[in-house]
Amino acid sequence: MKSLDSYTKALLILSVPYALVWTLCTLLWRMWPETPMVFLAVFVLAFPLGLAWVNWIRKIWRSSGENAKIQSAAAATWVYLLWWQLAVVVTDWGDLHDWRSSIALYGTGGLFLIGLGWLIWWLERSSRRIEIRRMEAVAQTESQAPKGSWNPLDPEAWYYGRGSQKLKQSLVGFSTYALLFWLIGLMLSQVRGCHEVYEMPAGGGQQKQLAVKQTVQIQKVIRKKFIINPLSAIKFNVPPIDEVKLQLDQATEHAYAVGYGEGTGAGYAGGTKFGKVRLIRIEYDGGDWALNHGVGGDLNMLFEYGILTQQKVAEQTESRRISQLAAFPPDKSPPVLFMTGQGSVSISNSETKVLRDYLLNKHGMVFASAGTAHFHNQFVAMMNHVLPEVRPVPIPMDDIIHRAPFAMGKFPYVVPHGGKEPLGWNVDGRWVCYYHPGDISDAWADGHAGIPSDVYNGCYQLGANVINYGHTEYAKWLMSKGKK
Amino acid sequence: MQSVKCRVSVLVVLAFSVGCEGLCRGDELNELPLEGWKKLREVERYQMQIAEKYWREQNWKAALSEYEKFMTLYEKSEGAPFAQLKWSLCQCQLKKQNTAIKEGFQSVIDYWPESDQATASAFYIGHTYKEIGRTKEAKKSLRDVISKHPAHLATVYALADLIEIAATEKDEATQVELWKKMTFDLKRTQYAVGPCQQASRELAVYSFRQVAFDDGVKALATTYAPDQLPYHVQAYIRTPISELVADSKTKAKGEKLAETAVSWLKAQIPADIAKPEGKALARQAWIAVADVLAVALKDADVPPAYEQMHKLFSPDDEILGRFAAWHKSKTKYDLARAVYGRYADKNEGLGQIAYSYREQQNWAGAVQAYNQLIGQDAEHAVRWKPELAATQRAAGKWAEAIAVYEDLYSSDNKNAGRWRWEVAATHQQAGQLKEAIGHYRQCENFPENYKAMAWCHRHLKQPNEAIILYNQVSTHQPSAPWAYLQMAYTKEEAGQQEPAIQAFQKVCKKFPKDAHAGIAHAHLQQKYKISVTLGGAAEE
Repeated sequence: MKSLDSYTKALLILSVPYALVWTLCTLLWRMWPETPMVFLAVFVLAFPLGLAWVNWIRKIWRSSGENAKIQSAAAATWVYLLWWQLAVVVTDWGDLHDWRSSIALYGTGGLFLIGLGWLIWWLERSSRRIEIRRMEAVAQTESQAPKGSWNPLDPEAWYYGRGSQKLKQSLVGFSTYALLFWLIGLMLSQVRGCHEVYEMPAGGGQQKQLAVKQTVQIQKVIRKKFIINPLSAIKFNVPPIDEVKLQLDQATEHAYAVGYGEGTGAGYAGGTKFGKVRLIRIEYDGGDWALNHGVGGDLNMLFEYGILTQQKVAEQTESRRISQLAAFPPDKSPPVLFMTGQGSVSISNSETKVLRDYLLNKHGMVFASAGTAHFHNQFVAMMNHVLPEVRPVPIPMDDIIHRAPFAMGKFPYVVPHGGKEPLGWNVDGRWVCYYHPGDISDAWADGHAGIPSDVYNGCYQLGANVINYGHTEYAKWLMSKGKK
Repeated sequence: MQSVKCRVSVLVVLAFSVGCEGLCRGDELNELPLEGWKKLREVERYQMQIAEKYWREQNWKAALSEYEKFMTLYEKSEGAPFAQLKWSLCQCQLKKQNTAIKEGFQSVIDYWPESDQATASAFYIGHTYKEIGRTKEAKKSLRDVISKHPAHLATVYALADLIEIAATEKDEATQVELWKKMTFDLKRTQYAVGPCQQASRELAVYSFRQVAFDDGVKALATTYAPDQLPYHVQAYIRTPISELVADSKTKAKGEKLAETAVSWLKAQIPADIAKPEGKALARQAWIAVADVLAVALKDADVPPAYEQMHKLFSPDDEILGRFAAWHKSKTKYDLARAVYGRYADKNEGLGQIAYSYREQQNWAGAVQAYNQLIGQDAEHAVRWKPELAATQRAAGKWAEAIAVYEDLYSSDNKNAGRWRWEVAATHQQAGQLKEAIGHYRQCENFPENYKAMAWCHRHLKQPNEAIILYNQVSTHQPSAPWAYLQMAYTKEEAGQQEPAIQAFQKVCKKFPKDAHAGIAHAHLQQKYKISVTLGGAAEE
């Protein structure tokens, strides 16, 4: 074997341990996407390392021989992996969700094609070797080649038949590769959230309308004078102050805390000291799940929720695929998931089961908003598939979801994509889905779609009501479970 | 003719029952009977009439205030429970169903437990719970009504609501139990008859699906007189048979059901068909037999059945028409035309032949048949000429079609406007847009003619003219949002991007509550990536 030059040696010495750390970081990052700063440094190192490999490829490519080409291609594949993952991490860290999902999607496609290229090369090379070996054996023994090989790399394996053997071998190779690729992808998509939990902020309160600060107008009061005849028959029996029974619980209750339970401060029973209200969005296939997601979009709502309710909220909004919901334990699941879009909604049968389990057994709730009339139809059809035994109904304006913590006198919307009243799916007296037909996420976004301030403020309040409702119902459920 | 009447009556009954189910279930429960009005004093009656007037006008807010006023002024009146009930119903209309239940219906039960309105309120509590998706509470309340007031009309409505809930929950056992109760146990009073009949029909369809033919007939027999029964058995057994036969797993069941139905229908044919009643009944039963055989895909048995009928009831073009329609359903158009040729009414038969050619897109055959028809049935030329013109249009022979419409325009003055419109539409279809505009201009069906003219101008790349016309259409209130949206599209097509964006925003701003605003909003976001669309509204 030809000895390696010092540049190649140095690259390999750097790359092998880096590859191990990189793989570990990639897996960890998938599990805990909230801690990218530590891993970001590792991922960023991929850029100079990749450049060094590109430089190496440039050099080696010029040298003659098949091996040089193969080594270049292998190095290029490695650089592709490093840089693709780096792009995904950077866009995710920068909250460029559209870019992130596009890079992740097209990058996966690219990886599939590169893998397919390697498969073809390997298959061709192996089968050619086997054929040469066979021809040599025939030439030496001058007898007919043995038949009935089981080796799938051998184009003359018995199961490829007599005609079009190479085509059949290619088809088998392609199918096996595609299946493996899909299985690995599926496994990786399940990696995230092995330990994922959602923790609500600890606190307490009641599910009722928030006391509105009233403006006091001072008016001049003309005091009436009562002249009492001390000799009258009326007996004035004023009890001594100690005998007056004040209902202190009612008189001193904190009317401004938003939450549910017996704890103190704005928060929920079953919450923790480090818990925060998070706004998690559902990722789905077929459309644009990331509409108004992140900075300048639903993050405005999350921050506004913090201001309106004084509860602790997360620094960023998040997203999960439906399949990832299975990773949350029942008593640490997200109480509310948000979903919107303008295009189609496509969820698989297994996702339907996971979503149904989330809504019914994990006491979850979906808060959805229509971005177009098409999405409206898609979403209603999806919910009918998830909960076929529940009929969507218009939610009354005097329902607690419209009254606490903010009393909604009117139902605000941007434009009526799917009607002018909210729809709900009710299971055992609880709304498991609140559907806003008029693009509420546009009202939350920067610029508020140019709608009047009273309407977008109403949309913030409505959003706060729904998020609070989901958390309150979840807290109630946790409390009832605790009592049992 | 008899079966046509039957079919129409079935459709009317179905449409009525479906419409009424959704719109006004329980309407009879919220009306004050004449006796109740008599008991009111004149001032009370006056106040109640004001409230009722607003109720009829669907001005729920005003009605709510007036009923409330009645309760405040005449708390001890005989009409107070009724006013309280209607107040609650107004709250339901104002989407405050929880208030209606807790402060309205429940108050009627608490304060006037013996009144008729208390029973109605008990039903409305369950019904309202159902409407707001709280099925558990709804079921409990409705079951209470049924057990406490079994003879009251509220029980009928409660049962109907429970059936609806069971259908949503796919609880077949409960559905069957309740259908049976409504079909066989309840007394069919004036208002109860509709829901009970509906239940009997649903039970029949269910029984047929289970291949329990006798049970299905028994259910239908509670609703229909014996002479109408064959027709209705056939009407309600069609879908179950076709569903069963379509699936290879249940095909045998479907065929067995069809056989049973055919035997039963044949048994209903009276021996004596000399009398008109007997003949009508026999004809109805025979038609039902042929239809069941056709639905069960017994293709070999269908023609003999029709031939037998033809022998018995000839001349009868309706039977021949059914026979030909069956041939057409099997794409045997030549055989169908042969049957049409046997029509007693030769003109009608030829008309059907011509139409069958059209269905096959054999334009030449259709034109020839229609021309022949116009010649031999000159008296009804106005009926056949539009058919000829429509055929010519479908064949792409624009000039010929226009000539026929022009002929109709001059000969059929009563419908001159319609023929002018058809001339214009044919020009438009032919791409002769300038001519089309000229003819549309002569039409008087504003705003439709203006809409069509604007469309033509847009396709002639004359956006300004189109916009002028859309502006005129926008004076027609219901068409205004559509017209503004079209103006925006027209500007966009003309490459005027900025004005187009402003026009789309105008749709959102001017009509934020209209569905067209949604289209404009989505278009601005998707095409121009503009999120500021200027909509926004709040619904009370």
